[in-house]
Order: sequence, then C-alpha cells, then structure tokens
Amino acid sequence: MKTQKIWAWVAILFGSTYFILPLIATFEFSLRMRRGEYSFDAYRSVFSDVQFRESFSYSILMALLTIVFGVLLVVPTAYWVRLRLPQFRPVVEFVTLLPLVIPAIVIVFGYLRLYNSSSLIPFTGSARGTDLLLMFAFMTLSLPYMYRSVDTAMRTIDVTTLTEAAQSLGAPWRTILFRCIFPNVMSGVLSGAFITFAIVIGEFTMPSLLNRPAFGPYLQLIGANRAYEPPALAIIAFAITWASIGLLQLLSRFNKTAPAKP
Amino acid sequence: MSFLDLSAIQKSFGPVQVVHDFNMSIEKGEFVSFLGPSGCGKTTVLRMIAGFETPSAGTIRINNVDQTSLKPNQRNIGMVFQAYALFPNMTVFENVAFGLKVAGKPRAEIEARVREMLSLIRLDHLASRYPYQMSGGQQQRVALARALAVKPQVLLLDEPLSALDAKIRVSLREEIRAIQRQLGITTVFVTHDQEEALSISDRIVVMNAGRADQIGTPSEIYNKPATRFVASFVGTLNLIDAEVEDPATNRIRLGGHSIAIRDSLATHKAGDRIAVALRPEAASLNPSSRADTQIPGEVISSSFLGSVIRTRLKVGGNEISFDMFNDPGLTPPAPGEQVTLHFAARDLLAIRD
Repeated sequence: MKTQKIWAWVAILFGSTYFILPLIATFEFSLRMRRGEYSFDAYRSVFSDVQFRESFSYSILMALLTIVFGVLLVVPTAYWVRLRLPQFRPVVEFVTLLPLVIPAIVIVFGYLRLYNSSSLIPFTGSARGTDLLLMFAFMTLSLPYMYRSVDTAMRTIDVTTLTEAAQSLGAPWRTILFRCIFPNVMSGVLSGAFITFAIVIGEFTMPSLLNRPAFGPYLQLIGANRAYEPPALAIIAFAITWASIGLLQLLSRFNKTAPAKP
Repeated sequence: MSFLDLSAIQKSFGPVQVVHDFNMSIEKGEFVSFLGPSGCGKTTVLRMIAGFETPSAGTIRINNVDQTSLKPNQRNIGMVFQAYALFPNMTVFENVAFGLKVAGKPRAEIEARVREMLSLIRLDHLASRYPYQMSGGQQQRVALARALAVKPQVLLLDEPLSALDAKIRVSLREEIRAIQRQLGITTVFVTHDQEEALSISDRIVVMNAGRADQIGTPSEIYNKPATRFVASFVGTLNLIDAEVEDPATNRIRLGGHSIAIRDSLATHKAGDRIAVALRPEAASLNPSSRADTQIPGEVISSSFLGSVIRTRLKVGGNEISFDMFNDPGLTPPAPGEQVTLHFAARDLLAIRD
C-alpha cells in the first residue's frame, strides 16, 4: 500500500516536472532581455508593438464571432438531432469529427479552390469576404469540441420531455430553444466557447494561408526574428488560456441549472 | 355532446399498429384513468390528445372543436409528466409563470395567478426555490400547478406518481383528486397501478394491446370484469375452468358440483368449457347466510399478508385462492388439510376472452 503511494507521488512529480519545467525555463528566458539582470523588457516590447495589438484584437474579434455563430449553428443542431433525429447522431458525430482528421492545410486549400475570387462564391475577392471565410474555417476547426461540449450538456437534461412540457404550455420553437433549452446547456456552451477561443487565438495555418493579420502568424513572425519576445508571447498565451479556464470554473460555480431530480 | 371525444382513433408506428379503433367520450369535469400494462397503448392515446403524436386515423374533439391537426402549443391542454419536466433554470415561481408569460398576460395577472396556484398546492413558501432544491413530490406538485396555471381545457397526467415513493404517491394522488374536484377540470390520467386508478377515477378504461377492453366505473371494473384480461389485471382474481351444464338455467359444473350462476350462459351450449371468476374476498371457510354454495378442497398453502391470510386450495382441477382477515386467535389451515369452501354462487362471474 505504502509503496503504491510512493509510486503515485513519483508519477505525479514526473508529470508535473515534464509540464512545469519548460514553462519555468521559458519564463526565466523571457526575463533575460536586459543583460545581467531580470526584467520585463520583453513583455514591454511585446505590448508596445502595434502589430501585436492589432493582430491580437483581430483574433479576439474573430474568436468572438466564431463563438457566436458556432453556438447558433451547434446548439440548434445538437438539439434537433437529440429531439427528432436520434438515428442520425452517429452520422453527425462523424461529420463533426472530420476537422480532427483532415489537416487544416487541406481544408484551407479546399476553401481556396472553392471560394477564390474567380469562383461562384468569391469569398477571397475582398478582405471582408476573406474574414468571413476565415470565421467559417475557425467554426469548422472548433466544431468537434463545440459539438461535443453542447451534446454532453444536453445529455444531462431530458430534452424531449422539457420540449413537450414547454409545447403544452403554448411555447413556440424559438421560446423553447432560447428559454428552456439554451440556459440549461450553458455550461457546455461555455466550455465549447473557451476551447474555440483558445483555438482561434493560436491558429496559424488558416489565417496565414488566407493572408489575414491574426495572432498566430504574428507569433510565427516574431518567433522567427526575435529572441526574447517569443517566450514572452508564449507565457502571455498560456496566461490567457489559464484565465479562460479559471473564468469557466467561476461561471460554472454560479450555474444554478442543476438537473431536476429523477 | 361530451366534452372530450375520441372517435375511431388508430395509431401505427411503421408496420406496427399500437392503437386499434379507440372510441371514448369524456364528460366535462370527469376524471378518467387509462389503466393497462406497459405497451398497451395508453400513453400513446394520451400523447395523441396532447398533440405529440398524430393519429393514423380518427378524430379528437374538445368542446366540439376538432383538435386532430392542431399543434401541441395550439390546444391549451395541460400536461404533467412522469419525470416532472420542470425547467431546471427557472425557480418555482418562474416555472408556474412560464405558460402565462408565453401567452403574453400582464405582469400583475401573472403574479396573482402564480400565487393562487402555489397556494393551491401549498407551496407558496417555496416560490424562489429551484427544482433541484426540492423533493420529488414537491416538484410534481409544482408541475401540476404549472399545468393548471394556464387554465387548460383538459388536464393530462402521464403516470405522474410512478417516480415517487409509496407514501408520497398515496397522499399526492388524493391531493390531485381534490384539486381536480375543486377546479372541475376534465382530467385524463394514465397509470399501470390498478389501486391508483380504482381510488381516484370516475371511470376507468382498461387497455390491452391497443384496445379498450372495458370502460366503466371502478366498481364495475372490479366487480364485473368483462374480459379475462380485465379480470386478471385488476385485483387478484381466481379464474376457474368450468363446464356449462344447462345454459337455460345458467348452471355450470365445477369440481363435480352443479352451481347456478348469475350471468347468462345463453350464448353457450351444454358441455362448453368456460372460465368463471371469483374474488379471493368472496370465499370463506366459515358458513354464512350469504354463502349458498359449498365445495370441498385440499389446502395447498397459506400465506400471511399482514391484514389477511391468503390460502390456496385445490378444487377439482383448479386452484382457488381466498382471503381470511387476520385474527391473532386464528390458526391458518395446514397444507394437505381437507376443508370446505363457502361462497355465494352469484359472486361467480362468467368471463369472456
């Protein structure tokens, strides 16, 4: 029993070291910009860079739009599949998993073939059109996570009976979806939203090939040309991710929608 | 003209027909229970009244208005579900107010109506609670208040007591019946529990394989079961094989004895095999002025059931159970003992298949 405990601690220690040590090293290196002493010069340099602010703002805006449109696509789809088309669940699950097995570069080349400026739907013909295409691309990338989060949340409530109860009280579909179902899958929507946020902020391939000023290509550019700023950016990116996770925990603590007792 | 009319209702799911030619007229303010085993079609009929299923044939009329093609949210029918179906994100107050808000009622009217409903179910002090903070019985009472708040034409109860423990089930069914009487609302109640149906209904529909085997008052259903299925499903009943002796005088032969029964045997001929039924409480080992028939039998076993002792006898080729009230001074008959069973011949019921 005692030996088992020791090995468990060894495993935890090894795992933690494997994860934390590179982070500490990265952080330590990001503080070495000034010769002979530690400073936050690298962070100052990053935050004062106009390109950083622009690319970061652009990616945040894209992330928010992706989340809004993704939720509007996924929640009604998952709801309808659970309510009326349960036999199609495996098909929908398979389709939503495809972005995990098809590399982003293949997807974006497909987009460029289909939606180039001389095609029937010339998304890439203008900057706004390309932004729209990029948002759809981000939606596709985040689909496996968003769909699973929402679908798992829907599993915790009796979608069919709640829908029928609302119908018998005279509610139309819009009211049922937005007042009876949506608030009860909020925890799933939030998890999906934060994962989407993290994906959009860090995505390089799609914005790079669509030539949009996102944070991912900026990270790559800085990484290729500077020494101390890239680790500072990595630490900033981690901080944003952890802040997102913390926010998720905080919001789920205020969630009052515990399922009704059976 | 009755208030709720179900006329020649049929329902098929693919090639499987689950409801066959169902006809029923329910009066305003009546409490009708659909009783039957799982899969007999009772919930399907209820769901067709609610609009969640569309009949394959037939019509549903409420107050002389055809509802068959109306959507569920156009019917003004209140429904209470087995799983409560309270909206988990809403408080008790918000749950009860939901239908009124959807109907666009003014805030003051909603407030007053919700308070009235919560007071009706005696939960006004829990208005700000969420469903997960309440017991099953409390949640079901809120579900009832929510269904009644919109003043529905008909109240449908889909096995609302099945998920509750035995004690709560009894108290809540009495509460449901009292509220139904107070409001005078036409109610259809689905259950597989015969005791529930017998105790609170004006009329009971016993359903079997998608058909109504018998429609009648609880007393009619219990005392005069029309079919073998009703007889075996409602209460405990001895089904005894007998032979028609003389159809003209309604005489049958049972265990070597000739007995005249009350039901007519005119459709039978001498020598036909028929089933007759006898309730366990209608027979006794002691003679009485009412018991005009005696047949001997051999005791198979005696079981102590608390307030009664149930004894099984072998009579001719049949097994007959009968109940004796428990008495501390009473010694139950021992297995193998030869006894005489006393009963009134008019308590024997001829049963059709």
